[in-house]
Parts: sequence; structure tokens; C-alpha cells
Amino acid sequence: MIVGKQKPLDDIWNSVKGFGKLLVFGCNTCVAICHEGGTKEAEILASLLRMRATQENISMDIRSSGIERQCEHEFFDAAAKEIEWADAVLSIACGVGVQFMVKRNPSIQVYPGLDTCFMGDVEKPGLFMESCQACGKCILDLTAGICVMSRCAKRLLNGPCGGSTKGKCEINKEIDCAWQLIVDRLEALGKLDDFVKIVPLKDWSTSRDGGPRKLYHEDLET
Amino acid sequence: MKKLLETVNIDAERLEMFNLSAAEGPKWAEICTDLTQKIRTLGPSPIYVALRESRKKGGGANDRGQTKTP
Repeated sequence: MIVGKQKPLDDIWNSVKGFGKLLVFGCNTCVAICHEGGTKEAEILASLLRMRATQENISMDIRSSGIERQCEHEFFDAAAKEIEWADAVLSIACGVGVQFMVKRNPSIQVYPGLDTCFMGDVEKPGLFMESCQACGKCILDLTAGICVMSRCAKRLLNGPCGGSTKGKCEINKEIDCAWQLIVDRLEALGKLDDFVKIVPLKDWSTSRDGGPRKLYHEDLET
Repeated sequence: MKKLLETVNIDAERLEMFNLSAAEGPKWAEICTDLTQKIRTLGPSPIYVALRESRKKGGGANDRGQTKTP
């Protein structure tokens, strides 16, 4: 899932203050799971902005709403009137959702309320860990199911480096060395011989280096 | 919630949560008395002050409370 974090309230306020009709708009998929960008968070943020507006004696009508996903056309119909009503939309979806909102509503001012952070998993309630870089060419089969693109600070295809100490990374003693995890897992699987196999050079053209990417299923076009 | 209140300059001490059973009437009364005393000591909330000032000037900025979208 995509993990995001709400921008500081001061930054958000500086973006949106003064708009007569402001809609705080949530997305109820990834960023709702991380308790930052769902409809519930939109309601809370709208309340905070109303309080700020009151304190600064700025007259604003601030409302909130949300849809299941801000990155798909089909969910927007239900919110068309709400969006049409607004002078500006504060989207607390990820960067994808914000841009999709812009694409669908070119005449409405759209501001991001979230900093999109990473793709990750829910390790435990409240803790989200980065685990994929969307490099476009998965090599988890070569690295014992542990992504060195996202979990090794140096993205080493053949590690570990000299900075690995007692299973931890040199950039932070709280971060596991991805290559130590790989060795441990290979050992547990009885496949430690695979550790000495050289992982070939990576073709980065499938990552962002090749420009914006797209996936198209012609058979799904209606 | 306390952290959120601080982002809009509202003293987090104004909010407390207690877990009580329905059988703890005296405890409930004690908590209400203590919290009321604390709020009186802290004085009016910044929101109340802002709304009062706004109304004095004839404005009515954002005092409509929670509004629903169309």
C-alpha cells in the first residue's frame, strides 16, 4: 500500500486560507489504512481548519468528504456535486490521487494535504515499513524474497557492504541490514549456496530512469 | 487528539479521557468538578474568544459548526 503523512497544519493552512468554499477530500484506500488521508481524517482536518479560520477571523465554508479511491474514475461520480461546489479542494490522497483530481477537474484549484512517503506494509498497528520501490523488474527471486532496492540503503545487488555490523546498517543502528536478512533467510531455507551466486546488473530502464511508466491492457478497454 | 488541539493553539489540558463504569457516580461527579475547576483556571478557549470578538464586530466567521456537503 501507499503510505503518506499529513503535512504540518501550518503548511496546509498557508495553502488554502482565504478560499470561500474549501472541500477537504479523503481517499479511503491506502492512506486511510495509515490513518492519514481517509474520510475520517478529512473530517478532523476540516474541523482544525475551521478552528484556525475562526481564530484568524477569516470567513470560510470548510466541508469534508471522501471517496473509495481518488485514482479511479468510477468513484468520482458520487462526489461530483461536492467537488463542483468547492472553490478549492484539499486532497489528502497520495500524490497519484491528487494528480488524478487535477486531471478530472482542471478548473478547480487542488492542493495536496499529504506528503506521499513510500510503498510499504503494515508491520503492526501504527507501524508502516517501506518494502518496494516499484523498480519495474522484480528480483525478489534472487534475493530470498527481501527487496534490496528498498531495504538496502545502497541498493546493493550483491552485498553486504562493509557497513553491515551485527546485522544492522551503518546508516542507523535500528535498521536491519537487508543482506544480513537475506543470509539468515537463505540459511533457514537451507539454500546458503545461493548467496555466492552473482546477481546480474540491473536494467534500470524499467524504473523511473526510463521516464513515466504505463501499463495498458487493450482487452479491458470499453 | 491532544496533539491536534495544540496545532490550533488550544491548550491540550482542556481535554481529558476517563474510563468509568455506570456504577461510579461519585467518581464521575468528582472528575466533573475537578475538570470544570481546571477549565475555569485556564480561562475561555481561544475559539470562544475569537467567536465573541467576531460577533462584536458583526461578523460570523466560521461559527456555523460542522457543515455537510451538498
